[in-house]
Amino acid sequence: MLQLILGQLLNGIIVGSLYGIIALGVTLTFGLTGIVNFALGAFMMLGAYGTWYLYDVAHLPYPLAVVGAVLGVSAVGYVSDMLLFRFTRGNLVNGLLVSIGLISVFEALVLSAFTTTPKDLTYVLPGAFQVAGMFLPKIKLVVCAVFLVIIFGTYLALTRTWLGRAAFAYAQNPEAATLMGIRTERLQTIVVVYSTALAGLGGGLYASMYSIEPTIGTAYILKAVEAAILAGVGSVIGALGGGIILGVSENIGSVFFPSAFRDAYGLVFLIGILLVRPSGLFGDRL
Amino acid sequence: MRFAILGGLLVALVAPWFITSDSVLAIAIYGFMSAALAVSFNLIFGFTGQLSMFHAASFGVSAYVVTILVTSYGWNFWLAIPCALLLVVVLALFVGTICFRFKLKEFYFAVVTMAFSEVLRLITLNWNSVTNGSLGITVVDKPSLWTPWGSLTFSSGISWYYVTLVLLVVVYIVCQRVLASWIGQCLAAIRLNDLLGETLGIDVFKYKLISFAIGSALAGLVGAFYGFYAGFVEPHYLSIPLGLDIVAMVLLGGVNSLIGPVIGALMLTALPHVIELSAEFRIALYGAILIFVILVMPKGIMGLITSRKNAA
Repeated sequence: MLQLILGQLLNGIIVGSLYGIIALGVTLTFGLTGIVNFALGAFMMLGAYGTWYLYDVAHLPYPLAVVGAVLGVSAVGYVSDMLLFRFTRGNLVNGLLVSIGLISVFEALVLSAFTTTPKDLTYVLPGAFQVAGMFLPKIKLVVCAVFLVIIFGTYLALTRTWLGRAAFAYAQNPEAATLMGIRTERLQTIVVVYSTALAGLGGGLYASMYSIEPTIGTAYILKAVEAAILAGVGSVIGALGGGIILGVSENIGSVFFPSAFRDAYGLVFLIGILLVRPSGLFGDRL
Repeated sequence: MRFAILGGLLVALVAPWFITSDSVLAIAIYGFMSAALAVSFNLIFGFTGQLSMFHAASFGVSAYVVTILVTSYGWNFWLAIPCALLLVVVLALFVGTICFRFKLKEFYFAVVTMAFSEVLRLITLNWNSVTNGSLGITVVDKPSLWTPWGSLTFSSGISWYYVTLVLLVVVYIVCQRVLASWIGQCLAAIRLNDLLGETLGIDVFKYKLISFAIGSALAGLVGAFYGFYAGFVEPHYLSIPLGLDIVAMVLLGGVNSLIGPVIGALMLTALPHVIELSAEFRIALYGAILIFVILVMPKGIMGLITSRKNAA
């Protein structure tokens, strides 16, 4: 029993770090543009399909395929920002609806290009470590490590570099930041594109753990938004924390309660948190 | 405007004599039901300013309840409807009380209602013994209506055409009466500035709840008929994409307008059939229309019509 719980705990942390990396994009985009980009789920899906295409069809090595997919997704993100998101800055409902519209477009395009047949890349790095009687697939550990490095790297970049401090300044007070010489429009575009790149990376690594379908993004963006709200929108490390709390509560929840309702445990938790602490667990800090 | 609406209704009343194809009739029937959903959603979204993601859930729960009561328990269709509506209203009051009591802002309201609606979808998906899981329930019964000239069974396309047209008119009139009353004034005040409304002595909580409950109940009414016309109910009825379709219809037709959502719903229902499209591209088209409308004509078709009239 203890082993089962420990195993689920680790699974929860690994899935949670995936929620976390997309939630980080949600949080950053919200902090700087005032919109919640639901299309990040679709960008994650694009990243997964891009990786699959580069690895399985173009025969690139897996790490290179992920990098290529991330670059491709960032380019799509840049174009979407220039054509669409740029016009919804600060308007939450419009931004929400535009990003939701974009999900349908991306999903339909991928569906018609690659059909609904799930694509499988899970053989990229086979094998598992055995620790105290539990099997830990190598690939999951690697993926989790990459996510943690990226999230902490983002945190350092935000607190230590000029661009990061500019982003903080803008999130606190847009007018004052503009007066201090920050080119706010460029800053917003950078953050929106960076968020799509994070989602693309999430998708590229997701492809090595689970099989992919055009609809995977929808489930994960909902989880990521839940994680971001759970943590308190605007908190970088909180996004990771929120993701892990969500992942663990789902996995541990399905040990004790029917696993068919695993998606519901996080939601119930979220509703509870929102009602007790509307600013999220980690408050209003960026 | 009023004459245009009455004229449209008149055309709709005589249209079946000129429609020979069954598929056109079916499109009209689905169009009327979507329009009724869109009108009721606009009461919550356009006129009260609350982006509810619970609408598809109200619709789906009612469709399920009526179907289960009729097929598994042998209830009369017309008796099952009030029960389903009662349940939908209770659910709406529960969700609404939680959201409005804690004064959730627009985005949080959307997420929490979406969360509740997902929980309900998971229940219908997994409560196999009652809902038959992902397969859904096939509905073979057709409701019938007692008239002095004998009982009338809704089996033909023409009868459903008139049933759904009446349904749309009923939903439309209920929304119109609500908006023309004191309640409508309060809802407008809440939409424009709920803090100011509160200081003016409007019970913001109560009126938000009234609008949410009435809109959801009307969606439930549509749901009750929908399953019986379509011939099956499935968990997809409660899904988020269905809720978004309704949002797209309202936005295309025009927020803040009663007749706008009707136009938007009829257009979006007919459009995929007019231009032959595969299922994937229909979804893409919905998305593209949603984006286009928001960025290029945020007030929808009705916005274009009224602004032209004002300019002339």
